[in-house]
Amino acid sequence: MGLAAALFSVRAMGTANSSDVVQSQSRYLAGLMVCVAVVLWLTVLVGTYVTFPPYRATPPEGLADLSQYPRSLIQSSPGTVWLHAFAMEIKEHVPWIAAMLATAVAFVGVRYRSTLLADSQLRGMATTVLAICFVLVSFVAILGVFINKVAPLE
Amino acid sequence: MATSEGKRAAVANGAALASFLGAGIGAFAMGVMVILDEAGLFSAPALYPPAGGVSGRTTFAAVIWLIGWAVLHRRWKGRQVESRRAHAVTLILIGLGVLLTFPPVWKLL
Repeated sequence: MGLAAALFSVRAMGTANSSDVVQSQSRYLAGLMVCVAVVLWLTVLVGTYVTFPPYRATPPEGLADLSQYPRSLIQSSPGTVWLHAFAMEIKEHVPWIAAMLATAVAFVGVRYRSTLLADSQLRGMATTVLAICFVLVSFVAILGVFINKVAPLE
Repeated sequence: MATSEGKRAAVANGAALASFLGAGIGAFAMGVMVILDEAGLFSAPALYPPAGGVSGRTTFAAVIWLIGWAVLHRRWKGRQVESRRAHAVTLILIGLGVLLTFPPVWKLL
């Protein structure tokens, strides 16, 4: 939601003249971008170091109920193997890329403030990077829903 | 004069392009770390064993991103840089980075 708001704001607040930019708007936009980057980094770090270890835990030999071992549960059925081989592999790395992109845009938002909204080339690049970030995060979120549906981490 | 130079330095696009290109380098580094691991050429050590190799791959890529960004920032801050080429390179690096993290690409190895 924050990414969508930032993307919309960069487009909507854009102007050809720096003097037309309302200072409070550029300050709000910079704050929003920083919040988005911070939330993304928190999500990425918690996902990698807190949520992922229980997901990949190896069950004891011969255990029939794999509900506490999501990776093994997913890999036990041919119909859900793709959730690990495709979805989880993407979820391990792509969010880090999204966090780097969001950080780059946040840095530009804070450093350039009103110039970001008045400079069409800068605004265009920020919009493109934010859009890529939004697509990556949305894609990963959808994959996460699929995985959680089959093997929720309890 | 100093004010004018300060103002010009503040609006010069160098720092912004360094930031974007740095993120592109980070994305590409992530893709390279993944593809090297899948090809069996280089496996980053697990820095946090419960998370496995992903902790090493992502940390290495993040370090490369920060170093790349810092170097570019140091060289470009306060300068007006030709933006079209920097934008193109950034987008290519991001595209390649994302592509290399996709499992169907690994199967082509």
